[in-house]
Amino acid sequence: MKSAVKISGNQVQITRIFNAPREKVFAAWKTADQVERWSGCKDSTKVEVRMDFRVGGSFTQKLHIRNAGEYTITGTYDEIVEPEKIVYHVNLGPATTQVAIEFIAQGNQTKVILTQVGFPDENLSRIVSEGTMESLDRLDQILCGHAV
Amino acid sequence: MVNNRKKVSDVFAALADPTRRRILESLARRGERRVTALARPFRISLPAISRHLHVLERARLIQRRRQGRIHFIRTRAAGLKEAQKWLMRCALEWDSRFDAIDVLLAEGERKEERDEIRRENQR
Repeated sequence: MKSAVKISGNQVQITRIFNAPREKVFAAWKTADQVERWSGCKDSTKVEVRMDFRVGGSFTQKLHIRNAGEYTITGTYDEIVEPEKIVYHVNLGPATTQVAIEFIAQGNQTKVILTQVGFPDENLSRIVSEGTMESLDRLDQILCGHAV
Repeated sequence: MVNNRKKVSDVFAALADPTRRRILESLARRGERRVTALARPFRISLPAISRHLHVLERARLIQRRRQGRIHFIRTRAAGLKEAQKWLMRCALEWDSRFDAIDVLLAEGERKEERDEIRRENQR
């Protein structure tokens, strides 16, 4: 767990320092082929991304879920200030969530502050704590799978 | 945990089929119905509908009530909750996504170094 997580009410804030300049970190969010490399989650085997990266532009992420089939989520970009900030909202079906990402240059590093809102309060901390366990599993997978 | 994941994958497998999604929508809109009434708008055989209902039942997305020989079907909200919880948890898995971005950035940097060395060698 290299990210710092802060939960208050129905808001989650995740902070992480990346060892790369701001433009490069921002670039990971800009194009579909980049986003496909890192989006999705533990139980998804593949993600197909289509995106129109501009304010008001929409995107879809088709998640291929292990042993289950596909599920597509759709979203819209609300704000893009290159290379400082991206705000979008996503329709998950059961809930709509808004995500704001700030990219802060710190020398050769970049601090990313991601704020996510829109989940029912009572579930959030429980979901996050369960999710953290799974993230640790995933981290192990990445370290083993992508060992260089 | 494994059990839970199995349940969730059953739900997504059930939802992956458009006919089954339409069956669920129809049940959600119009409430509990007899199997024969439910099947009518779908232009497929009763055995085919039966198979779809079986998948939905196994995913615990619907519930069956028997009155003599008549079967009544209705949706089961708790089944969908599993999938909803899965989706929310998936949406929040930022730590692992950030790990993947780390890998991506490191690859980019190594590529740049290689290009740099290549340029130097060509000089």
